[in-house]
Amino acid sequence: MGEQHVVWLYAVTRRLDVARFPATTGVAREPVRIVEAADLMAVVGSVGAGEFGEDALRRNLEDLAWLEATARAHDAVVDIVNHFGPTVPLRLATVYHDDDSVRASLVAHRGEFDTALRRVTGRTEWGVKGYADPDSIANHSVEEQVGDVGEGTAYLLRRRARLSALQAAESEAAAKAHRIHEALSRIAVVAKRQPVPHAELLHKRAKIVLNGTYLVDNERADEFADTVRTLDDQHPGIELDLTGPWPPYSFAGVDQMSP
Amino acid sequence: MSQLPERINTDHENVERGLASLVLTIIELLRQLMERQALRRIERGDLADEQVERMGRTFMALEQRMNELCDQFGLTAEDLDIDLGPLGPLLGNDFDGSG
Repeated sequence: MGEQHVVWLYAVTRRLDVARFPATTGVAREPVRIVEAADLMAVVGSVGAGEFGEDALRRNLEDLAWLEATARAHDAVVDIVNHFGPTVPLRLATVYHDDDSVRASLVAHRGEFDTALRRVTGRTEWGVKGYADPDSIANHSVEEQVGDVGEGTAYLLRRRARLSALQAAESEAAAKAHRIHEALSRIAVVAKRQPVPHAELLHKRAKIVLNGTYLVDNERADEFADTVRTLDDQHPGIELDLTGPWPPYSFAGVDQMSP
Repeated sequence: MSQLPERINTDHENVERGLASLVLTIIELLRQLMERQALRRIERGDLADEQVERMGRTFMALEQRMNELCDQFGLTAEDLDIDLGPLGPLLGNDFDGSG
């Protein structure tokens, strides 16, 4: 007897050209397949309950190496599905008992999937990160004329000038990030600012002042990219980094769906 | 069968460096806090000129000593910072040894 299996859900889409869909493997190197119901197609894989069952998952999700490998494999499948048409990516570790419970869920959440699929049809998610250049912040520390004072006093005055220059540079960077986000939001259909990842911040020694995601009409994708370049030029001291196209992880909005 | 080692292999130099970085992090945090407090008092103007001068020299000497200790243990500003997750870095980019 083989081991018990559960069904891992990657994405939900409307129509998938099954003949053209490449043979793909998922998080457990299992062949990815399709479950249909309610005029929707769920892209799923059968995975071992020993590794992906409820208890095992809770353990494994705390294992960073496992999590990274699984997240990459999950994202790779979602990405392929996304190339075939409007796609609702499912959150990592959306697991069902069997195909019947997947079908039941598709029927139960039909309305939400319809809305989400309509929202992402003909649109693409892009990410824009803004880094405040640490050198330009540090260089703001102007040499203040301190006049005829003692060495110790001069030192404190220089420190004060540096601290207030840092503060001014930081609030200026925040204001610029706000203006950049506003400008990009006018092109996007929906825009969101995400929390800044701090680990990355320490690693790069550059302060992330903007971490935005934007759902953009495909006809306006070029205009969006051009605008990012223009805004990058218009805001010295802030470096913009455009990433994508992404599956619409930030905008499909059904990730709270429970099995 | 694997056995627990009878004693933990503590590389003497590594332990010393780790301890030094922890101690220096705390000293640097205190130095920054005291410095800010001093600057606030100067702004309020409730310190005599000579008091300000004396404080300035103390902070200057403290910073110099910090830099020497960092050099001695081969530590950089990044080594002293601690990532507090959602709160951000403990010391931030204010401390860079050049201030």
